[in-house]
Amino acid sequence: MASISPLPSGERVRARGGSFPLTGEVATPRPRAGLEAALRRVLGPDYRMGFLFVTPIVVLVLALVAYPFGYAVYLSMTRKYVGMPPVWVGLENYVRLTHDGFFQRAVVNSFTFTFGSVVIKTVLGMGMALVLTSRIRFRSFWTGVLLIPWVAPTVVSALNFLWIYDYSLGVLNYLLVNVFGVLHQGVGWLSEPGTAMSSVIGVNVWRGFPFFGISFLAGMKAIPGELYEAAAVDGATVVQRFRHVTLPGIRNIVMIVLLLSTIWTFNDFTIIYILTKGGPGGATQVLPVLTYEIAFGAQRLGEAIAVALYMLPAMALVIIVLSNYMRKSRVR
Amino acid sequence: MGSPLDRRRSTARIERTQSALSYAILVTFVLFVVFPFYWMIVTSFKGETQMRSLVSMFWPSPFVLENYQQLLGRTEFVAWYGNSVVVSVSSTLLATAIGTLGAYALARLKFLGRAFMASTVLITYLVPPSILFIPLYAQIRNLGLADSLTGLIAAYPSFTVPFVTWLLMGYFESIPVELEESAMIDGATRFGAFRRVILPLAAPGLLASALYAFTQAWNEFLYALVFITNVKLRTLPVGLSTFITGDVYGWGYLMAGAVLTTLPVIAAYIYLQKYMVEGLTAGSVKG
Repeated sequence: MASISPLPSGERVRARGGSFPLTGEVATPRPRAGLEAALRRVLGPDYRMGFLFVTPIVVLVLALVAYPFGYAVYLSMTRKYVGMPPVWVGLENYVRLTHDGFFQRAVVNSFTFTFGSVVIKTVLGMGMALVLTSRIRFRSFWTGVLLIPWVAPTVVSALNFLWIYDYSLGVLNYLLVNVFGVLHQGVGWLSEPGTAMSSVIGVNVWRGFPFFGISFLAGMKAIPGELYEAAAVDGATVVQRFRHVTLPGIRNIVMIVLLLSTIWTFNDFTIIYILTKGGPGGATQVLPVLTYEIAFGAQRLGEAIAVALYMLPAMALVIIVLSNYMRKSRVR
Repeated sequence: MGSPLDRRRSTARIERTQSALSYAILVTFVLFVVFPFYWMIVTSFKGETQMRSLVSMFWPSPFVLENYQQLLGRTEFVAWYGNSVVVSVSSTLLATAIGTLGAYALARLKFLGRAFMASTVLITYLVPPSILFIPLYAQIRNLGLADSLTGLIAAYPSFTVPFVTWLLMGYFESIPVELEESAMIDGATRFGAFRRVILPLAAPGLLASALYAFTQAWNEFLYALVFITNVKLRTLPVGLSTFITGDVYGWGYLMAGAVLTTLPVIAAYIYLQKYMVEGLTAGSVKG
């Protein structure tokens, strides 16, 4: 019924008229066409489809990111317990945190964890990319294998390492004591303050370096071969070629990956929560885990969010610099 | 430097050393990457007595299925698996649909606020969940969705949609505009050109981004840990993490659960590796 009604085709005629503005303008300027032309001039030629297609994202960003974020900033300036209405306290939470020794330690740990992980991931990622650009057989197969830690669930990886690091029955101690004989006695990798941080960094590195490798690899592949040939003709050594051709060629990608990983690592909750919950005695306590524990252990939501937001200015800076890099490399 | 022959011979020698070195480093990398998975699989087939005794560390002896039987029969693992499938599949469909439309508009259409939205999407993708999980939880609870899979399905687009949109924007931008224009000259509408010309060409990108969205949802831990308290409604990552008991017996079925949790993402990844690697490098970091 509806399909044979004249209305839709009438609509179409009008839409057609809109897409041929010349005829509309030469003839008597009907108010609708004039309005449509004005709207197109102000809102852009594709504004109808554009607004329609983007609306879901706008709604989503407002509801799931912008609003929660604003609410978080507000809550961080209140005293809020679970199930109780928030009480405004201004910057009290932030001031108190600044003088809190446990919080200060978590900040230092977060930086250690992030810096250590990112540096090692960069070195290993560079190694991986170089190996995968050198002449080896089944290159795409090996690329695929090396990328597996990146797709496997983080929880699974963390649990695997929890078991590998186990003091009495873990395979790491077994290898070091019984197979290689490097140590006389096993090490409590996650339970001793001296080794806990390195152990959790190890897991983050294991999971994250393939992303560095694959990204660097993509960057290296994009460098024109002629540059290497020219360098070879000029008598450049392998190291010189790496320093003067490869590195400048992948500089943008390196920056993007470094910054991206800095954000991810700084906010990594899963690995440390599963492996140590911040222990032993706070030796691996980092901000995301501390946030969770204050929120759901101590039930002090306002203070917890202040912990999460404390580093926001620094983080926002990284995010802005990074998004500029990402947009720039996209435009090319 | 002697005769050309000498030089060629020494180049060959250098190349051989280089390739030997490459293989040595490659093997080290592969061992480092693969060993934890190997260890997970071996552990899942070891019996209780073997676990306690450090014999035949690197191979199950005897080879037993008791861990899997216990996992499937005496824990909530099967229910968790179902929950993970429901949550991941629905949020993937949602993210891919919303992301495809949005990415196309942001990559191709000209309208007011386009550049602003494109930046917003990127920045949203970079905002870490550790900042958002408490207010999101409060919001989900106010909507009466706490402790439900719907709550997770509603929250996951906060990270899947910006990612998918950003990835697909790269894809759409890489498709020549002329293809669309010629379709429109032939009488297709803008939407028709999008549906019949652009979407089929972007199919590998759609597949890759859907898979990434699925993987992200499947692996998500923090929101699932915070939003869900009912044991039966847990997703796999949270469920698995509750198996940590500090007891030796636990490791067998924990590793069995880890194997079964990893299986779908790895299977999908192996099957579609080409698209996923390309998608990752083409979409997220290009240039």
